[in-house]
Amino acid sequence: MVQLVGSLRKELADSLYTCKVLVVGAGGIGCELLKNLVLTGFKNIEVIDLDTIDVSNLNRQFLFQKKHVGKSKAQVAKESVLQFCPSANITAYHDSIMNPDYNVEFFRKFMLVMNALDNRAARNHVNRMCLAADVPLIESGTAGYLGQVTVIKKGLTECYECQPKPAQKTFPGCTIRNTPSEPIHCIVWAKYLFNQLFGEEDADQEVSPDTADPEAAWNPEEATARASASEKDGDVKRVSTKEWARSTGYDPIKLFNKLFKDDIMYLLTMDKLWKKRKAPTPLDWTQLENKASPQEESPASGLKDQQVLGVWGCCQLFKHSVETLRSELREKGDNAELVWDKDDPAAMDFVTSAANLRMHIFSMNMKSRFDVKSMAGNIIPAIATTNAVIAGLIVLEGLKILSGELESCRTILKERFGMVAPDVQIEDGKGTILISSEEGETEANNSKYLSDFGIRNGSRLQSDDFLQDYTLLINVLHTEELERDVEFEVVGEAPDKAPPPQSNPEEVNSITNGNKDSAQPSTSSKAPADEDDLMIVDSDEEEGAPSSSATVTSGTKRKHSDLDSDKSSTKRPRTDPSAAAGDEDDDIIALD
Amino acid sequence: MIEKEDPIISEEEAAQYDRQIRLWGLDAQKRLRGSRVLLAGLGGLGAEVAKNLILAGVKGLTLLDHEQVTEESCRAQFLVPVSARGQNRAQASLERAQNLNPMVEVHADPGRVEDKPDDFFLQFDAVCLTGCSRDLMVRVDQLCSQHRIKVFCGDVYGYYGYMFCNLGQEYSYVEEKPKVVKPSGDSSDGSGAKKAKVDPNETTMVKKTASFCTLKEALEVDWTTEKAKAALKKTPVDYFLLHVLLKFRTDKGRDPDPQSSEEDGELLRQIRSDVLDALGLSASLLNDDFISYCFSEMSPVCAVVGGVLGQEVVKALSQRDVPHRNFFFFDGRKGNGMVDYFGPN
Repeated sequence: MVQLVGSLRKELADSLYTCKVLVVGAGGIGCELLKNLVLTGFKNIEVIDLDTIDVSNLNRQFLFQKKHVGKSKAQVAKESVLQFCPSANITAYHDSIMNPDYNVEFFRKFMLVMNALDNRAARNHVNRMCLAADVPLIESGTAGYLGQVTVIKKGLTECYECQPKPAQKTFPGCTIRNTPSEPIHCIVWAKYLFNQLFGEEDADQEVSPDTADPEAAWNPEEATARASASEKDGDVKRVSTKEWARSTGYDPIKLFNKLFKDDIMYLLTMDKLWKKRKAPTPLDWTQLENKASPQEESPASGLKDQQVLGVWGCCQLFKHSVETLRSELREKGDNAELVWDKDDPAAMDFVTSAANLRMHIFSMNMKSRFDVKSMAGNIIPAIATTNAVIAGLIVLEGLKILSGELESCRTILKERFGMVAPDVQIEDGKGTILISSEEGETEANNSKYLSDFGIRNGSRLQSDDFLQDYTLLINVLHTEELERDVEFEVVGEAPDKAPPPQSNPEEVNSITNGNKDSAQPSTSSKAPADEDDLMIVDSDEEEGAPSSSATVTSGTKRKHSDLDSDKSSTKRPRTDPSAAAGDEDDDIIALD
Repeated sequence: MIEKEDPIISEEEAAQYDRQIRLWGLDAQKRLRGSRVLLAGLGGLGAEVAKNLILAGVKGLTLLDHEQVTEESCRAQFLVPVSARGQNRAQASLERAQNLNPMVEVHADPGRVEDKPDDFFLQFDAVCLTGCSRDLMVRVDQLCSQHRIKVFCGDVYGYYGYMFCNLGQEYSYVEEKPKVVKPSGDSSDGSGAKKAKVDPNETTMVKKTASFCTLKEALEVDWTTEKAKAALKKTPVDYFLLHVLLKFRTDKGRDPDPQSSEEDGELLRQIRSDVLDALGLSASLLNDDFISYCFSEMSPVCAVVGGVLGQEVVKALSQRDVPHRNFFFFDGRKGNGMVDYFGPN
């Protein structure tokens, strides 16, 4: 019987006492992680976070209380932990991990680094620092009921940036300016409008009708004519939105009539746009005022924010928020600029009202302030339990690393051909699927023999990577001549990664507030398959399919992208919940 | 049983619970707000469950624990201050627990579960038992399910943990599913243009029911039948490990102790053989490997099991989302979690 210290073998417990670890982030995952680390016996912990505590953190970041709102997360986290574990040696940094002070030397101090971040930029940065310092990194993320943990170790696993992460969702300028069809388009427009009127003007954030919209022209000559006309459009075009607004004294009604009446009427003249779409209907302030019904009673049972206003309600909200923002601007002085903040009431009111008015104009159902805030503010719903589970798993992985058991960690191993999500089918005329990139679909095949599928000497398999432009044709040959314990051998010129992608420029304005950023399927045409380049030589008809069962983590699932908990995404549709129940995966099942 | 819903959500609640209301909705939050829960056992797992339920915003949580704070307890959980040695564990945990969320009524009760009269349990909507003996859990489960009180049990033994629930024979809940939008062919304005687009994010709530068996039935599965023997291959051994650990607890009145790891290890080996034998199964089903890994409550395992258990309680109180039926086992050495059903079909 081994000597135990609590649950742990003495050797392991002793190593926890001396090793130094770094926790990057003291938020949802960070709080839970710090608690787990000290209770498990880690003695020397450094934690860093640039943020301060907000009341909306309190439903899960349990090391913080109401009285701490406004204070440094890292600092308060440390103090709270010391309350129940005074002997812990914790160093807290109220700072950004991207500060050059935290150089490779800094990272080399640690035996283990654990991310508890919420944005891609920081994750990329820490990833590179850990590679440079050759320190194992445990990466993780949560969003709603879902979460994941991955171990990254230089030379053994792929790193955080090895796989392309889905790009943040962007919308074409003409959709935003001319032909919105979803609430998110209107919300993005309203945020652009905020910046044009009150904030930093950005050439990529135009809100006025886009006369150069290729869809608006009936023929190519007309398109060119429109494009050059918009440039020569004289004084009206040259004056920026802000200048014009200033010239009216930020008069809300004048603003209203320009944005929601005049500009819409202009759009209507671009008749080709409305041939197959429902045309927008302009609003008139005076007409609306006259038609306005008496103020509806606000129902007491819901959140005030969750009510959907009527059109006149939006008009009033628009007017009030413009007036408030106007004074805020005046208070700040000449050439002042406001920065949009979802927690600033007037800014949020402005976007809510402007977006809703636009939605109404374009025949969409209007949204409550609650919903608009979710989309405009990229709010990711979050709860304590998901973070608790993930933080528990992080520490378990950490213990494996410190015990030297790296092979048993949750990692994405470098696969022989560098495929990420292979879909393998047999060229038997029926397209029998051997391996599916959809998790769980073909697990049952893993223990079968190739012969069970009618695969013989000379059979061909087609492997197509769902997530990359990469297809291989594999010829299966039988041999008696492989060494003992060697199940297969690859001969011929076999690539070990996908060919470089073809560039595919898109005319989009990049925006920083994407909505559901699900993994985008490749839009470029398939690269020609690397035909006849390689053969797999099989010792005898052994167990089928290597490779895809090595993927332990939910790295890149088909249905939803990495859980970076990036502030650029919002609530994700839950996929595959209880379908996973009872699965013998290494992934934890319970996340619903 | 859930108190009449107070329709008003205060500004304070709306601000604090914002991120979770955006996930499970206002109705669910209101139901939580009307629920009273009993939590027995404030060890490592108990503290995690307490934290999760208090943060979720239940109406009241009663911490019931007759044990005293020891040096071990200070290492095991984060609610008890280091200065509280010798005090009652529930009472010592009270202050920190309450500070997690002042909007929840947190009570501490230093009594024993076994000494509580039947009607004590009737004031709760859900009961969660940790650190209790098998017989006690079976008895409380029986009593509570008769009164339609939801029952949860859970424990952590070293790297291993489990959770069980009994939500009654007819448990109704709702599941959120994406709305299927049928494009309409006609249009009222006669121009043939498309109608207003429906937000693709719209979902609909579908009503479902599920049936749960008692803990007694779940633990007393007959493994000698042909059907059971065939199912054995797919059965997680964690289930049998649970039987072993519960037997240890019944026989010794405590869990395996690192201070007496040699003798306890021997005893575990013996109990393993006895238990499997009594079930009519081969002792080789559960090899010796587990023995050195089931001592004390491992913090990260408490976090995982406590997180799952906490979320199951939240789901059950809000009657929303598919419940785990009826066991969840966690193996911290492998990092595997598994949901499985044990009981009559």
